[in-house]
Amino acid sequence: MSDKRSKQKSKYTLDRNIPGAFEGETVTRRRFMTGTAHTAGAIAASAFALPALGFAIGPIFKSTPHHWEVVGTEGMFTDTNYVPVVLTVAPNIGEAGKTTVYVRKFNPELDTDPYDKGTPYIAISSRCAHLGCPVRWVDAAERFICPCHGGVYDLLGRRVGGPPVRPLDRFYTRVAGESVEVGPRFSVNSELKRFSPRDPGEPLDGIGQYLYPSRPGAQKL
Amino acid sequence: MNQREKEEYLREYATLKAKGKPFFPYAVAKDSAMAVVVMAIIIAMSLVLGAELGSKANPTTTTYVPRPEWYFFFLFEVLRVVKPPSLVGLATIGVPTIGMILLFLLPFYDRGPERRPERRPVATITGIVVICAMAFLTYEGANAGSPTAIETTTPAAVKQAGGSTLAEYEAGKKVVAQSGCLACHKIGDNGNAGPGPNLTHIASRLPRQGIARTLVNPTAPMPSFKNLPPKKFTAIVNFLALSK
Amino acid sequence: MPKLPKLPAPPLPPPLREPPPRPGEANGEGGPIEDARQAGITVVDWVDERTSLSGAARWMMFRKVPKGTNWFYTLGSATMFAFLSQAVTGVFLAMYYRPDPAGGAYESIRYVTNDVFLGQFVRGMHKWGSSVMVILVFLHMGRTFFFGAYKYPRELNWVIGVVLLILTMTMSFTGYLLPFDQRAYWATIVGVNINGTGPLIGPYLSDFLRGGSEFGATTLSRFYAIHMLLVPGLLAALIGAHLYLVAKLGTTAPPWQKAETRPELRETEV
Repeated sequence: MSDKRSKQKSKYTLDRNIPGAFEGETVTRRRFMTGTAHTAGAIAASAFALPALGFAIGPIFKSTPHHWEVVGTEGMFTDTNYVPVVLTVAPNIGEAGKTTVYVRKFNPELDTDPYDKGTPYIAISSRCAHLGCPVRWVDAAERFICPCHGGVYDLLGRRVGGPPVRPLDRFYTRVAGESVEVGPRFSVNSELKRFSPRDPGEPLDGIGQYLYPSRPGAQKL
Repeated sequence: MNQREKEEYLREYATLKAKGKPFFPYAVAKDSAMAVVVMAIIIAMSLVLGAELGSKANPTTTTYVPRPEWYFFFLFEVLRVVKPPSLVGLATIGVPTIGMILLFLLPFYDRGPERRPERRPVATITGIVVICAMAFLTYEGANAGSPTAIETTTPAAVKQAGGSTLAEYEAGKKVVAQSGCLACHKIGDNGNAGPGPNLTHIASRLPRQGIARTLVNPTAPMPSFKNLPPKKFTAIVNFLALSK
Repeated sequence: MPKLPKLPAPPLPPPLREPPPRPGEANGEGGPIEDARQAGITVVDWVDERTSLSGAARWMMFRKVPKGTNWFYTLGSATMFAFLSQAVTGVFLAMYYRPDPAGGAYESIRYVTNDVFLGQFVRGMHKWGSSVMVILVFLHMGRTFFFGAYKYPRELNWVIGVVLLILTMTMSFTGYLLPFDQRAYWATIVGVNINGTGPLIGPYLSDFLRGGSEFGATTLSRFYAIHMLLVPGLLAALIGAHLYLVAKLGTTAPPWQKAETRPELRETEV
């Protein structure tokens, strides 16, 4: 039955005996109107939905300019212990855009990793690499300790205990005249190799750097 | 559930429904009474517990101990106890996502016609186990202390000795809390279980000299405390030697 | 032509007839109270004539509920009531709130708590109401689970319910940041970073939530918009769908309730 019908089917509506069909017409008026309803509706809906969506996700693709900030003079820092300094990472929101950074002078005996050569100062972020809680430098234990889920890091910011997935993040540093300047943040893997800044909880060893790609909004120098 | 079971259920349900009472006012009366109870609870909590506002958000803090709202305590505790870094992704995203997918698809893999809880032992036991696990994790999460404060009862022997012994004990407790020992050790209910051993009764396993030696010359990854000022060092040794 | 006798008027069709007086009701002459009553009935009739809403209301309210339903069956409506309480207190809190991370947010909440008449009370209701709502959602889900109420024909309602659970948790997560105190800030940092640990899309998801790669000027207003516009709208719509399905499919009977089929009915069954 269906076989027979499909054989009868012709491209032209006239051949299919549709009442009121024109010569050479291939699309019925009903089908044309249905298509118009769907197409016009979709265009109208996407006309407000797409710009709104783009507006909402736009900030992801906006790159933020790097900025350097003076955090102190050279005399303030030693090469054996960390000094906490406050740094602005998000402008225009006052206290809420600041963060604490632990700064120490480069120590050739401790900082033997090749990636740190030429860095005048070691600046370590206070954001735990597990989920971003504020770590504390405990002088007596020579450890960074996270109060949330028990992450522990050594003097170089490498994980020694708890759940953190990579060492503590660091900041670029430079010396201008007498003053020490701290620049943008970067993340490091367990060999202290540098990567574009990642959020906490994103491992960088092995395939981690591909599973958690760097974002256009945050790039290393 | 096959077609016959579906029809059987629908017929059974239609009979039960026909015998029932109208929603208004019989069920609505119960619902309204429950609404009154709910509002009474909310208002009582608001009046008794108030709406505290902590200190202003300060991203530069290094002393604040963040804790979530109570209904996220179970997740918080999972994050705390999952130690190996390779499993962090599993604890943060993996397990919750799998749990949510299982919850979503529940009616699609549990298709048996039986509805009585006692005749669906697998579902009922799973439900009870999940509830107990979440209650346990919530309880543990709620009692997780900060790694920079120790709250334990002073041993009776120390209390009895009183005087300088008690003062030494309290001073040592403070230094131990500030030195980050709790990040790796457990003392009483405080701190993390591992990688270091439990220190609650360390004095019964290690003599005073042994404690001091370990602090100066520890096994990795524990750092040496030999650079500590002598006064603080003695305080730590005193405290640990009194922890029997 | 002789005058034909006038035919009696045909009787009015029933819908046009005056309703007979209700018992205990004087017909037509009742004084001001009776007039007010009539006015009310007229208004309702006027609306009903143009919308036919009374049919829907009757369908919703006078549907039968199976025998044996108990207090466990009030948990769903109690959850909805908690949601209404949250919506109303939230609207009034929004009149004072400023989503400004540079200090305005915290100050406005401090002002509500300390200076506004009943401010601490209403904020307390909103704060503790969220806890109560989360508990009720879980209890309601537990009842549905243990009574097997998610089975045929109510599978779709279970799925909607799980979405409602997720949206409720989203509400409590996004609302948590708004007071902008220490607890709020750090809980949000951790929460956003938990999202970020999802492979591949995780980092972009947390960038979307923050509106940038760092917690910045627009993060708070983003959370505010999600908390008071996006998610409540979805919640209200899905609660409507949830309720419609409950009314359409009927409240479940307790699983141990069995219908006793009358013998004469049993014979017609095959």
